[in-house]
Amino acid sequence: MALDMKAIRADFPILSRKVAGGKDLVYLDNAATTQKPQSVIDAMTHYYERSNANVHRAVHTLATEATEQYENARDTLAAWFGTTRDNLIFTSGTTEAINLVAWGWARSNLNAGDAIVITEMEHHADIVPWQLLAEEKGIEIRVVPIDTERDILDMDIFSASLPGSSLVCVVHTSNVLGVANPVADIIAQSHDAGAKVLIDAAQAAPHHRIDFTGMGADFVAISGHKMCGPTGIGCLLATTESIEEMEPFMSGGDMIETVTMEKSTFAKGPQKFEAGTPKIAEAIGFAAAADYLSNFDMDELHGHIRGLAMYTASEIKSVPGITVYGDHSVSEGSGVVSFLHDSVHAEDLARFMDAGGFAMRTGHHCAQPLLNAYGVTSTNRVSFYLYNTMEEAEAFVEHLRYIIGKFG
Amino acid sequence: MTWPQALQEAIEQFADVFDPMERYEMLFEWASDVNELPIEEWNDANRIHGCQSQAHVECHMEDGMFYMRGGADAQIVQGLMAITCLAVNGRPPEEVVAIEPTFVDEMGLKASLTPSRSNGFLNMFKRVQDEAGLLTEGA
Repeated sequence: MALDMKAIRADFPILSRKVAGGKDLVYLDNAATTQKPQSVIDAMTHYYERSNANVHRAVHTLATEATEQYENARDTLAAWFGTTRDNLIFTSGTTEAINLVAWGWARSNLNAGDAIVITEMEHHADIVPWQLLAEEKGIEIRVVPIDTERDILDMDIFSASLPGSSLVCVVHTSNVLGVANPVADIIAQSHDAGAKVLIDAAQAAPHHRIDFTGMGADFVAISGHKMCGPTGIGCLLATTESIEEMEPFMSGGDMIETVTMEKSTFAKGPQKFEAGTPKIAEAIGFAAAADYLSNFDMDELHGHIRGLAMYTASEIKSVPGITVYGDHSVSEGSGVVSFLHDSVHAEDLARFMDAGGFAMRTGHHCAQPLLNAYGVTSTNRVSFYLYNTMEEAEAFVEHLRYIIGKFG
Repeated sequence: MTWPQALQEAIEQFADVFDPMERYEMLFEWASDVNELPIEEWNDANRIHGCQSQAHVECHMEDGMFYMRGGADAQIVQGLMAITCLAVNGRPPEEVVAIEPTFVDEMGLKASLTPSRSNGFLNMFKRVQDEAGLLTEGA
């Protein structure tokens, strides 16, 4: 069944606004954050209008409602991600989720000389915590390079890096290249080598139903705002065994069982890692986003999104001076297209495109090692999502040609 | 503050243009008017931090007056440098130190700059003023 793009776009109120002196907004920065459907906005507003109270604390009516809605959100999201509520820890996003693995699991389970495997394709959030941990604990970091000719990880080096490793951290889908890694193979090999696996699914969760149980990873990090949910909320999916091995790295209210001035004991399960007043409205909004996406066949959505990226990459490759990064000949991958012109600076180009109503990203995309591997310090990036249309992709290509023709 | 005539003309020219694309085109064109710091002279000491693009500024005295040269890999940034040159070049360094960059507001430039870019611009302007301060002390 063809997607009803008019109906989809009508669900997102921001898409009707004008920018740059009256031009239609063409929002192509979805890898940075996605727009929110009215149902997500309404869910959060309704909570604040009708049920706002702190959770897990009081017994009055509003507190009961707020707690129910918050925990129902956990149930909704756990079901969406193919797991149980006992395996879903709310975080502020992927960055905090990865830091929770670093400081909650790795810090207390790894020792000097143990090895962590990461890749050149990682977002900074999946690089910097490991560097800091390595400095603190004397842990070895093994880096799998990217094969820049084929735009994939060097899987030979990956396999060779596994013996003796304790944790493997890999991005599911690159926020720069849009390519998807062979996650099933990575998890299988890692487990055969005795290593746990953390998958950064920030760019994958918007496009696919993440089936945590089926995937078999030990940890999966997800951001709500990249899949139509609000900013400031995400989750860490973790196996029961992993959760039992974790220690809290943020502590205080709500994550305790008993507190004396001498010692404290902690709550069990995910609550042990959710200190303080949680992002209640955001969790409710995150669940509303999952409910919204459940209206669609995710494979069909992915096909639509990927098709826009493949079309755009194919067209702009023929613009004189443009280099496109990533392999857009394959159907696996996201809606991301990164590119660079050989004379119009990336930031200038983004400015000119913005003046035409096109919102796109420029910079290092929090992936400096990956860009360095390609010999560049910044790129332009467009990233499509479910509400983008072929008309928008065509208009983008046409305006890009115009700008390059004028300033290139 | 009284601006040099060239800057006053630039302020009026820019403020008369409302279309964002035309504004960027003006900055793009002005890039070639900058007192250029050639790429061979770019180094870490003269780099402006806080800019997404690479931007470099060198400041010196000529006949008792302050001058800056600038270079950037992004043309719009270099255009902003050209405007800054109009504001500061040929002035006594103590005057450069005292300048409030209100010409940015008079031109309506802030509306054309994202926070990161305007922070980069203000970083550059502060750097120029800091350099002027050092040259004043050394005078």
